Amino acid sequence: MAKIPPLIKLVNVTKHYHLASGDYCQALNGITLNIEQGEFVAIMGPSGSGKSTLMHILGALDTPSSGQQLFKDKNIGAYTNDQLAEIRNKEIGFVFQTFNLLPRTTVLKNVERPMIYGGIPQWERTKRAMEMLSLMQIEGKAETLSNFISGGQVQRVAIARALVMDPSLILADEPTGNLDTKTAHEIMNFFKELNMRGRTIVVITHEKDVADFAKRHIMLVDGKIVSDKKN
Amino acid sequence: MEYKEHILSSIQSLKVNPVRTGLTMLGMIIGTSAVILIASIGQSSIKYITNELSTFGTNFFQITPGGDLMASYSGGAAEPLTTEDAEAVEDADIPNIESVSPIGFASRTVSANNLEKTVLVYGLTPTGQEMLKPEMVYGEGITDDDKNSKVIVLGIDVAEKLFGKDSDPVGESVKIDDIKFRIIGVSKSGGNLFGSFFNSAVVIPLEVVNNQIRGDDDLAEIDFSVTSTGLIEETMDDVELFFRDRRGIKEGEENDFTLISFKQSLNIVETITGLLTALIAGISAISLIVGGVGVMNIMLVSVVERTKEIGLLKSIGAKEKDILIQFLIESVIITVFGGGIGILIGITFAFIIALVAGLPFILNVPWIIIAVVVSSLVGIVFGLYPARRAAKLSPIDALRSE
Repeated sequence: MAKIPPLIKLVNVTKHYHLASGDYCQALNGITLNIEQGEFVAIMGPSGSGKSTLMHILGALDTPSSGQQLFKDKNIGAYTNDQLAEIRNKEIGFVFQTFNLLPRTTVLKNVERPMIYGGIPQWERTKRAMEMLSLMQIEGKAETLSNFISGGQVQRVAIARALVMDPSLILADEPTGNLDTKTAHEIMNFFKELNMRGRTIVVITHEKDVADFAKRHIMLVDGKIVSDKKN
Repeated sequence: MEYKEHILSSIQSLKVNPVRTGLTMLGMIIGTSAVILIASIGQSSIKYITNELSTFGTNFFQITPGGDLMASYSGGAAEPLTTEDAEAVEDADIPNIESVSPIGFASRTVSANNLEKTVLVYGLTPTGQEMLKPEMVYGEGITDDDKNSKVIVLGIDVAEKLFGKDSDPVGESVKIDDIKFRIIGVSKSGGNLFGSFFNSAVVIPLEVVNNQIRGDDDLAEIDFSVTSTGLIEETMDDVELFFRDRRGIKEGEENDFTLISFKQSLNIVETITGLLTALIAGISAISLIVGGVGVMNIMLVSVVERTKEIGLLKSIGAKEKDILIQFLIESVIITVFGGGIGILIGITFAFIIALVAGLPFILNVPWIIIAVVVSSLVGIVFGLYPARRAAKLSPIDALRSE
């Protein structure tokens, strides 16, 4: 029986930037990493450790300066901007810390947006968006403008949007950074539940108790993995 | 992404800042309303004058004394045209001339029923009257039998002033310089430009103007009708040669009379209106460019303001083309809406001006189409640069921006 390939495979990935000041910044320094389908991974590290850069590469928002970047065995490191956009649309659902939703736009329209780029017809868009909002228990706010809901509700809508294209990976960047402890736990429990249903989840965080919801902890310091443990 | 969605989300973005959107549209509104207003009024004027001239027909020309049009009305200075001249040119058998109508006039006071009105008294021959095609409200016009008789045809305004509205004064009499005239008709002219002139004038036989009123043989003008419009120019040349010869004007000397056809008058009006339209269109084009630069400026500000939004859209799968089209549609909506409002304002003002000035109102469709096309083009041309900047933003730079 053929082995299921890892969802993401990074081999000796580096990423450097030329800053506006002319300085050179080595954000990632030889990262080798496999993320298997169905995993719940927390990527941790102090600020400046390169975890945001790693998230951008995992999320196909950016490509490595060197090394191999495989997504489902496809070398996406050489993809064009539009090909990467398609991967993000179909395979990855993002949940950010801030600016998750389009302002002055209803919750429903926000959740429908990825499906518009995915070419899904209107009737199906509304149906699927409402299903995801129900799953996140926020269907009552479907017609509310995104700037009139609470922080916890914003994150739930963002998760609904992240799920709506049925992606292989949910990538959450400090998803609880702006929330109180109770709401933060609520949101992390949603992720846990989604993972239990088989969804691959990667959370970037610097909070230990958030990371504890995950089954695997990867610790980054100075652009290198210093520890990679399973709970 | 579907265009409907692009348009809806663009409208939504524009609605967020209605004052800014409105001010951005202002340049487009001013530009297009000016173009539509001027084009419409210009065409109305041409139409109006064409209507007037076509009342007389285009196979006419006239000769007036004096080297230019103004000199002919200043009086005295120029060598006059006389009834003898008119008879001579008629007898000269110049080819293609259908009829010759000498016209004399004087300014006098007409009185009846203890009321009076100062009017222009036209001396016409029956042929001349036929040329001017007055519409008879009551009675008859001047006929050959009326030569030397003291009969008068009143313009409708004069009749109403002296005898009251809707009364038929035929058979009554009026006085000019204490000479009694019998009213044989009341006329109204079809057109307005020359018509209103004749409505407040009176017509008597030419001989009577010369012998009884003016006391000389001087004419204001001699009108010629030609067998066909196409022959006007060569006939005018013949008449010019005839009068140069008759007046002893040597080669190289300027004419001391002026020949002009109605067609030429129309051409002059058309040229002036055309120049004016071109001038205003030029000014409006500049205003549209300024409006376009305004749109570009605001769109650039909008791209910077919405950098994070662009990052978010890219992270959920928007391609460069999706972002480009969304921003482009926004700028086109601004310019097309601005252009649309400008067109409506232009039409409204053109209508009001036409109404007040008594011009025919013309909806200038070609210019409206041009205005719509130009507005869209301004939106695309000036929106392209900001839209490309938005589309080319890297998703991580956009997400990171503060």
